[in-house]
Amino acid sequence: MQRRHRRAHAAIWTGLAVVLPLAVAIIFTTLPKPAPDAPAVRLDAAPAAEGQP
Amino acid sequence: MSVSYKPVIWNRTKLIYDAVLLAGIVLYILLYLNVGPQISTALQEVDPPIRRMRAFGSLALLLLTFVLAIGPLARLDTRFMPLLYNRRHFGVITAVVAATHAAYVLAWYFAYSPTPQMTALFTSNTSFGSIAGFPFEIFGILALLILGILAVTSHDFWLSFLSPPLWKGIHMSIYAAYAAVVLHVALGALASRRDMTLALLTLGGLALLCTLHLVTGRRERVADAEGSPVDPDDGWIVVGDVAEIAEGRAILGAGPGGERIAVFRSNGALSAFSNVCSHQNGPIGEGKVVRGLVTCPWHGYQYRLEDGCSPPPFRERIRKYRVRLAGTTVLVDPDPLPLGTRLEPLPIPAAPARQGTA
Repeated sequence: MQRRHRRAHAAIWTGLAVVLPLAVAIIFTTLPKPAPDAPAVRLDAAPAAEGQP
Repeated sequence: MSVSYKPVIWNRTKLIYDAVLLAGIVLYILLYLNVGPQISTALQEVDPPIRRMRAFGSLALLLLTFVLAIGPLARLDTRFMPLLYNRRHFGVITAVVAATHAAYVLAWYFAYSPTPQMTALFTSNTSFGSIAGFPFEIFGILALLILGILAVTSHDFWLSFLSPPLWKGIHMSIYAAYAAVVLHVALGALASRRDMTLALLTLGGLALLCTLHLVTGRRERVADAEGSPVDPDDGWIVVGDVAEIAEGRAILGAGPGGERIAVFRSNGALSAFSNVCSHQNGPIGEGKVVRGLVTCPWHGYQYRLEDGCSPPPFRERIRKYRVRLAGTTVLVDPDPLPLGTRLEPLPIPAAPARQGTA
């Protein structure tokens, strides 16, 4: 039982070590980027020090 | 060990374990909510309910990472073994923390939803065709569901009811929960804001866990592949030299393709057992003889030296193996005896005996 468990365990973690970093990398590379002609002032940018942006 | 239902069999070790764990959780939440905004502008800019939501979410990730590291750490260094003892409480508390995070999410983002909160949760984002926009909530719900099932079935009643192999199989779904949590965080929090601390916790934790599990897996695989030499005369396994076995401890042997066998030395005699504890398949051979009983290092399940049975009223049993000495060499019959077979420990002749260390 321990032996079978160890084999399953090794297979699972080998799979996770390959799939998860790959999945995270794909997620970050497919994040939408602002268009080249996007306005300089953006609503999702950090707010100005004082007053409205 | 228990012969009747008790929700939790408390003892001093468990109380200390849980107290330390709960104190750590309270400390983390207090620091996150009170000190966090002073050192992070990102936390200053969000409302207190979102801060609480993030505090419990990041804590759940931290706890899950830690609980998954305990197993390989205990195999690499026995000093981590005490963490393994009460790991189930750790898992249950992780599920509670994750559920608290989910409750804050529902109470904040879906408080004024015209549809029921759960309906809104499942229908607010339906970008299933997008990668970066994929509904990260689904992964969070999946992870929470698995953690909930594991928490509910963590009691020994379920272990006995389902049988150890099935219970162990179900509880290995914790790895699926972890994968779901990583995707939940990557698609949600990490994709929507640049949070370096959370990124480090997520990706650093992933790297750490993969390394720990793969390194320990490799070590075990090498040990499995090596097996033990076999005596050509009768096919018995050569486990080692009797001088290698310290008093009250064991050495391990393994047949080709077989399970490991632990040979214990106690009071000048040898006894061979299956290395698999009947409770949770813990490594018996890494335990020791306590008051004349072989004791599993994981949860303290005990077995008699002469027949591998737990003392009454307990009913757990492990298989015994025949053992003999050829000079100072310890040999074990690779065929186990039927469960419960009585076989007195093999006395060690005076000449090869030595004073061991417990």
